[in-house]
Amino acid sequence: MSTVYSVKELKKDYQVGEVTTHALRGVDLEIQQGEFTAIAGPSGSGKSTLLHLMGALDHPSSGEVWLNDTRIDQLSKSQSARLRLWNIGFVFQAYNLIPVLTALENAAFVLELRGIAKNRRETVAREALAALGMSEYADRRPNQLSGGQQQRVAVARALAADPKIILADEPTANLDSETGHTLIELMQHLNEEHGVTFVFSTHDPRLLDQVKRIVRLEDGRVTGEETPLSA
Amino acid sequence: MVTLAWRNLWRQRRRSMITSGAVGAVVFLSLLYYGMGGASINNMYQSLTEATGHIQVHVPDYRDVREFRALLIKDAASVEETLQSGAGPGEVMGVLAVPGLLSGEDRSRGIIAVGQDLPTSLRNRFLEKNLIGGRLLEEGDLEGILLGAALARALEVELGDDVYIYAPGTEGFGAAAYQVVGLLDLLDPNFESRSAYLSLAAAQELAAPGAVTHFEIHFPELRLLKEDSTALTRRDTLQAALPNYSVESWRDLNPSLVQLLDAFGPMMNVVNIIFFILAGLLVVNTVYLSLMERIHEFGVIISLGAAGRNIVRMITLESVLLCTTGAAIGTVLGLLLLAYWSQNGLSIPGLEEYYASFGLKPIFYPSVKPHQVLFSVGFAIATGILAALWPANVASRLEPVEAMRFTA
Repeated sequence: MSTVYSVKELKKDYQVGEVTTHALRGVDLEIQQGEFTAIAGPSGSGKSTLLHLMGALDHPSSGEVWLNDTRIDQLSKSQSARLRLWNIGFVFQAYNLIPVLTALENAAFVLELRGIAKNRRETVAREALAALGMSEYADRRPNQLSGGQQQRVAVARALAADPKIILADEPTANLDSETGHTLIELMQHLNEEHGVTFVFSTHDPRLLDQVKRIVRLEDGRVTGEETPLSA
Repeated sequence: MVTLAWRNLWRQRRRSMITSGAVGAVVFLSLLYYGMGGASINNMYQSLTEATGHIQVHVPDYRDVREFRALLIKDAASVEETLQSGAGPGEVMGVLAVPGLLSGEDRSRGIIAVGQDLPTSLRNRFLEKNLIGGRLLEEGDLEGILLGAALARALEVELGDDVYIYAPGTEGFGAAAYQVVGLLDLLDPNFESRSAYLSLAAAQELAAPGAVTHFEIHFPELRLLKEDSTALTRRDTLQAALPNYSVESWRDLNPSLVQLLDAFGPMMNVVNIIFFILAGLLVVNTVYLSLMERIHEFGVIISLGAAGRNIVRMITLESVLLCTTGAAIGTVLGLLLLAYWSQNGLSIPGLEEYYASFGLKPIFYPSVKPHQVLFSVGFAIATGILAALWPANVASRLEPVEAMRFTA
């Protein structure tokens, strides 16, 4: 397996007035291709910050983030956007679908940003929705879907773009137990069948039971790693 | 992206409708303004050219000449022949303006007696516009005279009374008696109180047999200012044919009014641009509020990989759609109304006399030119693009993580 992500001595400070908050205090981490990894830790441990930096959504205070052979922590705004568009899929805790678009249009949105023709992107988006059991809801808008259905559309949006890696920020946090479990199974399936690398931030024990690797984060530092027995 | 922009517009239905309606109203008003402005310009053009002719022919440097004899075109018949052959569809009218003293029973006034035989097209207009009593003169009438109503009052004469003109120092009889056959409303009281009209034959008999002081050439079919190049071209041709005379167009004869007419078009554009700037401020406000309400959403879109140019395109598209929708409605309504008015005419109650006092027709027939419709719609689209610049710039600079934390 090749290394997808390589994070070296990563630090991130936030300045609010005269107070400096150290969100990450020097994180080292490697993610291999095809991993199904959770970054776990309590609220404020730096999980989301780490995920944002791995997703080129933010710049670190110091340290390095490498995606394959590209150092991504120093990219310009437009280079970062391009990298995210073509390489990384995102799933957010709050689903973050575009409310005026249907499930199909949401799933096809990243492809539209890539300039893919309408017919082609709709075909791909329909396949992604079908893979997540959402075909019959393709024409519904987010406010006509349950939380679990919205999160499936969000995963379909990430999946339709066929990214090398999907970063998911607490994807099951807003879902009930059954819906959360179903979503985890779907993502496991995508990981195993399609070889998509998943990295989650979570403190959901249901999700932690299903991942292959858990990276523990506390106060902005990696405090340990484990491989759950069920994985 | 168009679908997304269109649906985003209607998330705040009432606000978008008000803004789009304001743009539509501006387009509607700008079309009416162009239509009315164009009608006024053509109305002024017609009145002006009816009064002076499209072209006049004088002796050279006539403005500096004080001596009546030196103003005369003595070989009027040959000049007229040249003009008739070179004027094309224009109607040539010789005019002899004689300075003199007009006396009634008890009173006298210094006047200009204008000898002319109006061509049919002008005669009807003169009859309709200026004659307030009696009749017009027939060609070759040696006994009748038309007086400005103010002049008749000043001399205390009425229709049917006899008056006497003394024109000493001229080349004709120098004095003659006439009967008042018509009274004229000449709009300008000063002009009216020193104007009398004779037939050309009568004026020539009085002051200068066979001569005129100038020729006027009227092109009755030229009703619109934009067609005026025909007259200007004809002026150049006639000047070449008559090198010993001064051939001037109505533009040369009325420089200050021409300046006013020429400024009218640009002035309408400026006023319209001001309208659109005001509408643009409303559009900026709408687009910016819409952005503020969707900061989080833009954060998500940027995090999914949208580049700054994608965001600029999205916001500009929304703004342009907002303006184009309004512009389409405003254009349709404006053109429908103008189409109706162009057929049936528009008379503004209470303003008939005001327009008449300037010699303008009281009924307007507004019409717009295709390029003015394009200007109005173009202004609306430009307003949409310009109004989006600032909000789009703000949105394209959003940091995705900060934007996603934002709640409106």
